[in-house]
Amino acid sequence: MTGLHDIGVTVIGPGAADTLSGNAAALLHEIATLLAALVQEGRTGAIDLRGIPLTSADRAYLREQLGEGEVCAQVSALGPSEVRETAYRGVWWVTHHNADGELCAELIEITPLPAILASDAGELAQSAQRLRASLQAAGSNP
Amino acid sequence: MRAQSTVGEALEQAGISRRAFLKFCTAMTSLMALPPQLAPAMAQALAQARRPSVIWLPFQECTGCTESLTRSSAPSLESMLFNMISLDYHETLFAAAGEAAESAREQAMKDNYGKYLLLVDGSVATGLDGAYSCIAGVTNLQMLEEAAKGAAAVIAIGSCASFGGLPKANPNPTGAVPVSALIKDKPVMNISGCPPIPVVITGVLAHYLTFGSLPELDALGRPKAFYGNTIHDRCYRRPFYDQGKFAKTFDDEGARNGWCLYELGCKGPVTYNACATVKWNAATSFPIQSGHGCLGCSEPDFWDRGSFYKALPTGTWGGAKTLAVAAAAGAVVGAAAAALARKRQRDIGEKE
Amino acid sequence: MMDLLAFARGPGLKYAMFVFVFGILWRLIGVLLLAAKVDRSEPRHTASWKGLRLIVLRLWPRREFLQRTAAIQILGYAFHIGFLVVLVFYLPHVLFFEDVFKGLLGTNLHGLLGVSWPYLPGGVIMMAGTVTVAALVALLVHRLVSPVKRLLSNFDDYFSWLATTAPLVTGMMAYSHVGPPYQTMLAMHILSVELLLLWFPFGKLMHAFTIVISRAVTGMEFERKGAAL
Repeated sequence: MTGLHDIGVTVIGPGAADTLSGNAAALLHEIATLLAALVQEGRTGAIDLRGIPLTSADRAYLREQLGEGEVCAQVSALGPSEVRETAYRGVWWVTHHNADGELCAELIEITPLPAILASDAGELAQSAQRLRASLQAAGSNP
Repeated sequence: MRAQSTVGEALEQAGISRRAFLKFCTAMTSLMALPPQLAPAMAQALAQARRPSVIWLPFQECTGCTESLTRSSAPSLESMLFNMISLDYHETLFAAAGEAAESAREQAMKDNYGKYLLLVDGSVATGLDGAYSCIAGVTNLQMLEEAAKGAAAVIAIGSCASFGGLPKANPNPTGAVPVSALIKDKPVMNISGCPPIPVVITGVLAHYLTFGSLPELDALGRPKAFYGNTIHDRCYRRPFYDQGKFAKTFDDEGARNGWCLYELGCKGPVTYNACATVKWNAATSFPIQSGHGCLGCSEPDFWDRGSFYKALPTGTWGGAKTLAVAAAAGAVVGAAAAALARKRQRDIGEKE
Repeated sequence: MMDLLAFARGPGLKYAMFVFVFGILWRLIGVLLLAAKVDRSEPRHTASWKGLRLIVLRLWPRREFLQRTAAIQILGYAFHIGFLVVLVFYLPHVLFFEDVFKGLLGTNLHGLLGVSWPYLPGGVIMMAGTVTVAALVALLVHRLVSPVKRLLSNFDDYFSWLATTAPLVTGMMAYSHVGPPYQTMLAMHILSVELLLLWFPFGKLMHAFTIVISRAVTGMEFERKGAAL
């Protein structure tokens, strides 16, 4: 009786092509249009990268063309998320992972500041109260 | 147990930050193919939305749908569902509470009359006036009619509630029918699948709370965002189908190389569901990826459509016995016709 | 209330195949058991079985008629061969026939001979199907335009044409996802095949079987009489 590892299984990836499909170039044009709209009308935008079929070559091309900016932020909320500004101001590459480390969303946001980075107005007030309370508690116990 | 608090308040109580919720909404918009820039607006709308009262009635079911939804351990997209709603009654989960649970249900239905969401899983038995399936002495039939009266919408979870499922399969001894066969005056949405992909339920509820209406439905009442494509159209093994590379038996070389499972009975080409894209168990895998053909579990009457392991084109053509009977009958009629013709020929010959 | 596809794949197929087998046996037995005319003349050749050659000889027109009939003959073959290719070398059809084979004989071709029935790529089948439908349309046009053919044509001719063409057209539409949604189109294809099966034994499509019998009998009679085949 042989073991499981004696069963000859071949793992074949689903043919991820290594060629550019043309979708990356199209995406770049869309980003350019959205960025222009942001400058002229102040309108923010976002592109869901999972909504367009992208090959691994497409992604590499996109990363290469957009480059790296000055900001790289790690957000820890129900799992890690990464927010990187690209070499183009206002164009951010946002990657969301869940608590198990699996990718749950990936998008390119065209905005001065992605919404996930800014602190929520409602939570601000609460935090102010909490800090005040914590300082008072500390002040009463020197 | 009244739905007073908003979703935002419920999130706060559960210790889920606004950032985490925004992340959830971003994942939801991606899942439902909504424009991603909608996510912040969705997060805001949802946070302010009052958590709807939800009554969950399990009828003639195997509890697989409830299991599918409640088995996620870590905070996840699926479990976020329970922060968005006020689950005022779930017969299986509340079973230990007995009478108290029943009166809680009645109270919730009265307090939220016209506004609560009725979630049903399992088919409804109609045989013997519904006596085949009862909860606390009340038939499912009666319970559904009563609960649907005050519901804003009815969501049929799973193939049993959507289309009748296993109980309705031949010979259907209990007279099982789907929810949509009984409820005609309220919007009914079918989330079919055996079980359905749990995150579909979450996505649909998020849509309902954000936009105040059920998402666009297909001809069978299923949300198009998740049931708009067939498994075949989005299957990662499609290139093998197109190239004519098929596994002939389980565990043969083709199967080990991950080739198409069409000849092994995969019903992917005629099954609408999101398994190939959204997948199961937090996007781990789905039946075809694990080497087994699609059963077609999100389609009506999939139990009665012939073997799961016979290829889709084989159909159910009756078998050799039926054709043997046909041949015998044909031969008899043919012989009779020939005998008649011969008799006529003889008569003509004799006349001359 | 069964949906269209479930009906087409299930009871529809069962009844259609029943009537198909029933009808063919009826008509074949009905013809084969007819009384043969007794020929009391002296035979020229006694080895009349040599007349069976006629089955093959009549596959192509006689030289004298070739100029007038070649075009139609070629179109006819284009249709028949194309139809055969689509029917017998397209994988989903192969799977269906193998299942019937298995049901009737207890084993499939692979079990008998160790090889599976071959199949052609979908694109090739589509090309064959296109050629077949083009030939069918050309033949119909000829039937309508030629005064002799038009005079001779009856319901059987036109309905048999429809019953033959519909499965091809619906099949190709389903394959290319053109027209109604796939499930509906597939149901329509299967139903059109069922119509063909139901009609087959009762019209001129029976020539598929009778042509062999008819030519055999004629050939043997000619051979006996000493007439040129």
